[in-house]
Amino acid sequence: MESVFGLVGKDFAIVVADSSAVHSILVHKTNEDKIMLLDSHKLMGASGETGDRAQFTEYIQKNVALYQFRNGIPLTTAAAANFTRGELATALRKNPYMVNIILAGYDKDIGPSVYFIDYIASLHKVDKAAFGYGSYFALSMMDRHYRKDMTVEEAVDLVDKIIMEIRSRLVVAPPNFVIKIVDKDGAREYGLA
Amino acid sequence: MQDYTEIQSPVKSCDTEDDLSPIRMSRRYDSRTTIFSPEGRLYQVEYAMEAIGNAGSAIGILSKDGVVLVGEKKVTSKLLQTSASTEKMYKIDDHVACAVAGIMSDANILINTARVQAQRYTYAYQEPMPVEQLVQSLCDTKQGYTQFGGLRPFGVSFLFAGWDKNYGFQLYMSDPSGNYSGWKAAAIGSNNQAAQSMLKQDYKDEITREEAVQLALKVLSKTMDSTSLTSEKLELAEVFLSNGIVKYQVCSSGALSKLLVKFGVTQPAADAS
Amino acid sequence: MMKIDFSGLDASVPLCGNTDELCNEISTEQKFELPTAADFDGFQREAVQMVKPAKGTTTLAFIFKEGVMVAADSRASMGGYISSQTVKKIIEINPYMLGTMAGGAADCQFWHRNLGVKCRLHELANKRRISVTGASKLLANILYSYRGMGLSVGTMIAGWDETGPGLYYVDSEGGRLKGTRFSVGSGSPYAYGILDSGYRFDMSVEEGAELARRAIYHATFRDGASGGVATVYHVGPNGWKKLSGDDVGELHYLYYPVEPASVEQEMTEVSGL
Repeated sequence: MESVFGLVGKDFAIVVADSSAVHSILVHKTNEDKIMLLDSHKLMGASGETGDRAQFTEYIQKNVALYQFRNGIPLTTAAAANFTRGELATALRKNPYMVNIILAGYDKDIGPSVYFIDYIASLHKVDKAAFGYGSYFALSMMDRHYRKDMTVEEAVDLVDKIIMEIRSRLVVAPPNFVIKIVDKDGAREYGLA
Repeated sequence: MQDYTEIQSPVKSCDTEDDLSPIRMSRRYDSRTTIFSPEGRLYQVEYAMEAIGNAGSAIGILSKDGVVLVGEKKVTSKLLQTSASTEKMYKIDDHVACAVAGIMSDANILINTARVQAQRYTYAYQEPMPVEQLVQSLCDTKQGYTQFGGLRPFGVSFLFAGWDKNYGFQLYMSDPSGNYSGWKAAAIGSNNQAAQSMLKQDYKDEITREEAVQLALKVLSKTMDSTSLTSEKLELAEVFLSNGIVKYQVCSSGALSKLLVKFGVTQPAADAS
Repeated sequence: MMKIDFSGLDASVPLCGNTDELCNEISTEQKFELPTAADFDGFQREAVQMVKPAKGTTTLAFIFKEGVMVAADSRASMGGYISSQTVKKIIEINPYMLGTMAGGAADCQFWHRNLGVKCRLHELANKRRISVTGASKLLANILYSYRGMGLSVGTMIAGWDETGPGLYYVDSEGGRLKGTRFSVGSGSPYAYGILDSGYRFDMSVEEGAELARRAIYHATFRDGASGGVATVYHVGPNGWKKLSGDDVGELHYLYYPVEPASVEQEMTEVSGL
């Protein structure tokens, strides 16, 4: 079952998502990347209906790129989060997107940040966030073990703990997860240099 | 069909000297903003710029700690009640202000759209609109009126002064065609060319805000038609940072009088030099 | 047409006299037309079933060393009724690309033909064949734009392009997955069982075809909504080729030989002796 979560560390933010594409009782694939790179310093982890997730995150990604082309400056993470929220809110009363989003980014003069955006278009700036069935485990474990000044190693340790917990406690737990990190050097998949 | 024959005719009747005069030539194309003349000109747009050349002037100077805007109010009659608020300076948002030269009724429309654009941006992104984007969005509106049929261009030039987190203090100048560009010091309105060349002479990089005010007043005192510079004929506004927060401040009449005395520009320009 | 009965909501005593005008106005406000059916929910469910037949199908496709193998059954059903045993569920989009059909037969056929047209136009405009990635995205975007409007499509786009073999799963909920092994339809769990246990990347075309055929056969054996003919296609660098089409009834004797079963229980005569 779907699990997406993320947290802010000392000078980075981390987003984790399972990588299963599920239809009713079938697992179609276990290497689906659900964390999109919005631009060089932004990550968007999303859970929800497969179609809405893919379409909506791509729509946001392209709009963030368009802004950068038009204006020569990138959107701040806060601006991108508010823009995303606005798009969800306008769609909500017409053709709602069933997507929950964890947006993580790094801004030069602000540092790392994580935003929690749900499908009914509420937006919160948070230190830690989680969506999906895995969120029950992720939230309590982050509440217990999270510190504001965590290093990348400590955060990855915590993430590993949470993944192990999900895999051992959740019925039909997803086998694989993707971990992505964003810091001053940009957004990238953890473990890939 | 009618238009087509009209465009054809000047080629045939070009032989006579009379027909070659610019005035006769232009008249065929100046009723439509959307049509180029054979020389590649848009007369209505040029006339709009001409209109601004007669308007009260305004000067903007970029300094390292702020932007200064100075404007000349045309007092046309002694009976005219000088408004308590500003006539030439308008605040667009907390971080952007502009000075106007040209037809005020046109300017009011544009200022309103600029204010709406700035709020719309804040609504979408929850942060202030970058200055250049604001200027560009307004100039897109201006451009539209030089191209789409049956409309007259806006007879307004602007000086925009603002601050944003990406590029700090900025000064932009825009004209009725929708062109805009960034400047260290710029002048619009009557005598703008004289003012511009004086600014070019006297502007120094690393100028402070106080020096910028002095320079702006000096230039204006020399380029204005009126014999003496008084605070009733002037408006001074500044955009600067105070404790890290952008501030837009209009100089009061009293403070302006003191400044004029301090900088010694109360006398007619001829006497001062 | 039936009207929703709001009588239960009416005040037992009219609020202000019994002005027909007022009551009429309120009652006209609160009605909308519904189909005349005794059991509306049942009618709606039935209607939805009619345009959206059960995905009584088994289709599969997988990428292996020699390209892509695509296979499907051929049964069309409407609830318990088998409406056809000879449906072509593998649709030839162009000589290098195949689509499979699960869900609404009409929806699948229509949108695959539509996709075929778009792919051909792409070919004419760009002087090269469309990639499988591009074609599947084209279809996914169309289906997504009709989301929530009752389309029922579960398809795989399989083909060979400049990058080699390609396989995507696309459905009417807007889902689009890139992968190397998919099965779609009500029989897909059974097919996955065979496919996952027998799959190797370095199979030969013959082995691949045999695996695909077996997977379809075993799905038809257990899934009542799948049956008919097990068709197998292979897509290689030179385009697709139909490899086989076997009646699953005949495959049964090949894949599921009936052993002479021992009689489970002998009848014993109780009476008499």
